[in-house]
Amino acid sequence: MSDDVIRKWALSRRRVLGAAAGLGVLGPGAAFGQAGGPWSQAPRSKVDRLNFVVWTYGDIYTRIAKQFEADWGVKVDSTISSFNDHPTKLATMFAAGEKIDVSQSSPFSFPNFIGQGLVEPIDDLPGAAEYTKDFTAFTKQVAVVKGKTMGLPYFSAVWVWNYYADMMEKLKIDKPFSTYDEFIEHCVKAKKDGVSRYPVLWVAGVGLEQLPGTWYQMTWNRGGTFFDKQGNHMLGAGSIARETLKWWANTFEKGLDISDPESLKVQFTTSAKAFGAGKNLYRGPNHHYGLNVANDPAQSPIAGKVKVHGSPGDGKTIGVTHVYFLSSANRDKEWAWKLLQYLGGRTKDGNYTQAIGLAKDAMLGSGYSSVMNSDAIKQGWAPWGDVSAILKIWDQAAYIGEACSSVYQPWHFPWTDQLNIEVQKCLTGQITADQCCDNLIKGIADAKRKV
Amino acid sequence: MTVVAPQMAVARHKRRRGFGREMSAGWFAFFMNVPTLLFLVLVLAWPVIYAGYLSVHRVGLAQLRRGEFPFTGWENYGRVLEDPLFWTALQNTVIFTAVTVSTEVVLAVMIALLINQTGVWTSRLTRLLILLPYAIPPIANGLIWAFMYSFQFGFLNRILFTLGLTQDPVNWAGNPETALFAVTVPYIWRTLPFAIILVHAALQGIPRELYEQAAVDGARAWRRFWHVTLPLLRPVIAVILILRTAFAFAVFEEILAITQGGPGDATWVAAWYSYKITFSPPNNFGMGSASAFILALMIGVMALVYLRAVYRRVTL
Repeated sequence: MSDDVIRKWALSRRRVLGAAAGLGVLGPGAAFGQAGGPWSQAPRSKVDRLNFVVWTYGDIYTRIAKQFEADWGVKVDSTISSFNDHPTKLATMFAAGEKIDVSQSSPFSFPNFIGQGLVEPIDDLPGAAEYTKDFTAFTKQVAVVKGKTMGLPYFSAVWVWNYYADMMEKLKIDKPFSTYDEFIEHCVKAKKDGVSRYPVLWVAGVGLEQLPGTWYQMTWNRGGTFFDKQGNHMLGAGSIARETLKWWANTFEKGLDISDPESLKVQFTTSAKAFGAGKNLYRGPNHHYGLNVANDPAQSPIAGKVKVHGSPGDGKTIGVTHVYFLSSANRDKEWAWKLLQYLGGRTKDGNYTQAIGLAKDAMLGSGYSSVMNSDAIKQGWAPWGDVSAILKIWDQAAYIGEACSSVYQPWHFPWTDQLNIEVQKCLTGQITADQCCDNLIKGIADAKRKV
Repeated sequence: MTVVAPQMAVARHKRRRGFGREMSAGWFAFFMNVPTLLFLVLVLAWPVIYAGYLSVHRVGLAQLRRGEFPFTGWENYGRVLEDPLFWTALQNTVIFTAVTVSTEVVLAVMIALLINQTGVWTSRLTRLLILLPYAIPPIANGLIWAFMYSFQFGFLNRILFTLGLTQDPVNWAGNPETALFAVTVPYIWRTLPFAIILVHAALQGIPRELYEQAAVDGARAWRRFWHVTLPLLRPVIAVILILRTAFAFAVFEEILAITQGGPGDATWVAAWYSYKITFSPPNNFGMGSASAFILALMIGVMALVYLRAVYRRVTL
């Protein structure tokens, strides 16, 4: 089929779909095959090559770069680093005056990147409005900043608990905990019975949402937040965040000694791998997609035995969306937008290729409602966990910014550095939870000065 | 003794007075040093000067991109010195440096004395093997030891467990009481060969007659070491102290690979502080440069102290 024929066909399809979009009838099926949208048209300008700067995730970037080159004849270079090193890599490339067409960000770095002029708004670009309409609530809270769309979603995740079903059976516990007291009971029993030396593995490694996310989630689940709507901290004496930290610290060595010491080092995937060794009863609360590691026979000796579980009480939890964005250091805005869509939007065929691939291959959630409501999720996640249980938890999730609204502030990043330090000191018994929270309250002003 | 022919002396005298006269030794040395000097200025001094310039300006990503840096005076230095984390990092750095450098010097002298025993065939094999750790890239060394220290799956705990020395695994890198020392071991392991080589080379330069004379005077091994070997090793020990202190003060790779500063701030060191301030959002390059400059100043002062305390005593 010649390009001309494709273009004519695409145009007619675009008109139909444009009208449909105008009538607001884009339903769940919109995740697939809208070949006639602006995503299928070549920009008028010419470029020799494009590039993106991202953090590593399997081979997804090699595949999407190849597809882009096959579709548009433009070579795509990639700079890929680890998740924790990505902000550094991106910052140094930007500072050095290098060309960067597309990059990505966690919601925690994003306000900084925007504030420092790395991010270009995409509102005026063809098809951007349609994407925005399809954003989930999480995505809107990250990608739409002061009324401007600043990015497209990479993936979404919610915080869940995992348990090792065989160990539960061994302990003659018929169902996972429904209260935090019950959680402690189960863990103490597991330790006392000699079934598990360290019944719980937390994700408490240093990071932006690893250790902090665990504390945010448990505080939010208990009905607390870290800041009120006016931006005042909620870490004072008697606050839910402070009491949660006291409870959490008590599970470590100086208290009940039921927490795995590895907790302080592990990140999301490494904790899932460690849990796969079958030495812990519970793991959590953290990103739901850890199941695709813990239940993968190639990576886990206890594959198939790791189950998902919601949080106590009303089941409130938190979620997050990471984003791709158009860099202000791009070489050609139209082409960079085209590449951005391949990573965070639709490919030439109109599919959310990347989002669907991530759901099927890596159990990641999408930042698009149409993908979340599609069979890509239901079928894609099924090999690793109870999809309906996870989606039920998803419905009870609020964006992480609701629990800790400082994520919208540029000073959140340096404050998180301090949070990681103070909370780890608290969990290892060097300081009390009260001292930790007091230090963090003082640290807010320090973090603001660093920006 | 060389005899210069009268004709040659006359010719040289003529050249000196003429256009193509011979260059003086001082000028010759100057011109021979110019390429090295230029190289050092461009490669070493320029970045240092530029970092100094950044340290007194407001420099974030946006400013770097635009190339406009508002002058802030000493503000960045003030902010660094006010930051309690900087002082914690500095304290950890001093402990780290004291432990690693002193251990290295003592071990280097001991091992160099051992491998200097030419009569023992194993000393030749040891001489070869001892160089191996120095060939390992620092970051790889850090990762190797991170695996060794792993709480549940680490080699070190496995050995202790197998030997019955412990019932529970030891959380080497995750315990605030042991973490800093856990990082010193891989660092010493990697950098010790450098010190051994220097000491060994210096030992080989000590005339045997001195030992023989000392033996004739009735000096035993310990006195020979104390009164002959050690004084003659002082210059090289001074060099080791200066270089190893400077490098230990700037330790980074092992921290990155093994603890990333944790748990808490137990292994935050000065270079890690500068790195985090500079390369983590909000990317405060000015403040990061200021902290690096303070570090450089401290290393410079320490080098001077070493020179005065160790080197001069030998030359007197």
